[in-house]
Amino acid sequence: MVDGSAADEPSGGNSALGRRLDRGDPATFPEWFNTRKPRANLIVARWVPLALVGLPVLVLFCIVVYPTVWMFYHALHDTNMMRLFQSNWSWVGFENFATVLSSPRFGDSVVHLGIYLTFGACLQVLLGAALALILYELVKNNFLRVVFLIAMVLPMMLPPSIVGVLWKFLLTPSNGAINQALLNLGLIDQHIEWFNAGMSLWTIIIADVWNWTALPLLIVYSGRVSLPPAVYEAARVDGAGTWTTLRRITLPMLKEVIAIAFIVRFMDAFKFVDLVFIMTSGGPAQSSELPAYIAFQRGLREFAIGEAAAYAIIIFLVSAVLITLFLKYLKKVLKAQGFA
Amino acid sequence: MARVSLKDVNKIYRSRHDEVHAVNDLNLTVNDGEFVALLGPSGCGKTSTLRMIVGLEEISSGQIHFDDVLVNDLDSQARNVAMAFETYALYPNFTIEENLAFPLEVRGLSAPERKKKAREIAEILRIDDILDQRPGSLSGGQQQRVSLGRALIRDPAVFILDEVMSHIDAHLKFQMLFDLKAIHQELKKTMIYVTHDQVEALALADRVAVMSNAELRQFGTRNDLYHTPASVFVADFIGEPPTNFFEAELFTDQKGTALHVADSDLVIQIDQQHAQRIARWNESRLTVGIRPQSLHLNGDRNLPALEAEVAINEYLGERSILTLTSGACRFRAVVDADTAAARGERVRVHYAPEDVMVFSGQTELIIL
Repeated sequence: MVDGSAADEPSGGNSALGRRLDRGDPATFPEWFNTRKPRANLIVARWVPLALVGLPVLVLFCIVVYPTVWMFYHALHDTNMMRLFQSNWSWVGFENFATVLSSPRFGDSVVHLGIYLTFGACLQVLLGAALALILYELVKNNFLRVVFLIAMVLPMMLPPSIVGVLWKFLLTPSNGAINQALLNLGLIDQHIEWFNAGMSLWTIIIADVWNWTALPLLIVYSGRVSLPPAVYEAARVDGAGTWTTLRRITLPMLKEVIAIAFIVRFMDAFKFVDLVFIMTSGGPAQSSELPAYIAFQRGLREFAIGEAAAYAIIIFLVSAVLITLFLKYLKKVLKAQGFA
Repeated sequence: MARVSLKDVNKIYRSRHDEVHAVNDLNLTVNDGEFVALLGPSGCGKTSTLRMIVGLEEISSGQIHFDDVLVNDLDSQARNVAMAFETYALYPNFTIEENLAFPLEVRGLSAPERKKKAREIAEILRIDDILDQRPGSLSGGQQQRVSLGRALIRDPAVFILDEVMSHIDAHLKFQMLFDLKAIHQELKKTMIYVTHDQVEALALADRVAVMSNAELRQFGTRNDLYHTPASVFVADFIGEPPTNFFEAELFTDQKGTALHVADSDLVIQIDQQHAQRIARWNESRLTVGIRPQSLHLNGDRNLPALEAEVAINEYLGERSILTLTSGACRFRAVVDADTAAARGERVRVHYAPEDVMVFSGQTELIIL
């Protein structure tokens, strides 16, 4: 920077004096700078940048760094509601982790999470990708495309509380709209008990797929739009049919975009609490609990802070490993194409 | 193998507010096995023409035949054309070998056969050392050669090459022009080559179609284009440095008829029979063209000459270009590289009367 500006100076007289910080022509300084006292300027120059950077850092520290450290600290202590407010918790080592990992409740919730990841998150990405490609290939009119996109993205715009309540109403076993519709169509001959022990997790998944499929759809759609049209012309000229083009060209080129959609949905899956809380509260008999929901339940409703923190750390570690694997894959894909 | 004929072809791009007439009533027949170049400045409609032939663009009106088959409604696959794209359009997720072999893969050739053919074509195009890389890591020139190879690997009815040399550096381009010509002579396939570079067009093509402003200006061999350009545009576009043009009017005195250049004392002599033909056009203002190559310093003393003052002497290695002035008139002559003509010196450049081209001042079409 300094080198460059010195070299750019046409006169050469100043640059011969050696490297000097080039503050530019005083005539181009803003007016407030020239009209104030030099001392005040120095104070402004020193403290304004510090304040602009420092305050956000301070806020971030308060809402991210401190709670995280606090969480790690209490994960290793027997903190509960009484002790938290009396400040007399004591070190228990990894006892909280042992409690969590050995509890059948945690084991069940991991199975639930597995089901949710496979049939919730993965299905959303696959469905979203398929819908995006179908929308792009079949609807050529720009206006219609926008209409369809908006229609499909609408569920995502609703707050989770509304989505939860909406689906709870729709799926009410005795007089919910969906059961009535299925009955009237003759597809079933008795009410489906959407919220009993075997079904409740699947019910949450249905609502969540409805709610969130639009996100991978948007990601994949934007990826497809940005693919170079010339490549598709080349494929047409080379004689590749629709299926070959999809299999050999479109999907490989969208690999990294789809991977990103997976990452986003998986990150959300590990902290998925809202619909569980609103639709089933983890029930009946804890049959639709996910790890994050148990952490919330234990920590914020039963004030077993230590145990909740242990839950949070376990979730954090597992999701970190998974996301790292995804990112590694993404990097490999990009590297293979000569980028990155 | 196919003869490609375009009949009254039009291309109109319509948007909400206006329409652009990109190709206007184009008639063109490319014979079987012929190498034809479409030459013209940017935006003249040559690429639109090409895309209509390939089937990537709909034809607004008119007919395109391959041999005797009307192909207007056939897609590119059914037309069996191979195309190399100006923007390369390589498949970014494939290696170079896969890129080259993709047309064969689509046609169901076995993997070893594909590999063999891809190697052959890669050797011709000098890209056999990068076969396992991907397009993202290649230079523009390399990508362009891969794109060309992907077209050449096929056995199509027509090869369509869109600006395939534009990103290849000069030294390699010379070699590639030679190779492409050799490939054409070996395959004897119909090739249509789009370019804005007249050197490429004249070097490669059997016939050149010159386009400007959506219309075909002239379609002929390089001799036709060079010696009897159809219009001022063609005379200006073909040849380097471009043709000298003079605004002139016909006048007759006791020595015969000649052309008097406006705003200077230059007089251009022409054959007396030609003069009669020009006179029959009955136009006061004519445009006269003489190629810089037709003006000879120290030429035959019996030939007519133009006398002018040297303004610039440009040394270009194997030749020099003199820029000469006479009155308000400026023109150029190609001379030997060792010509020592200083600025301000007066020189005489001789020309043969048959090298003088005369165009109508109004329509800019050639008179003789």
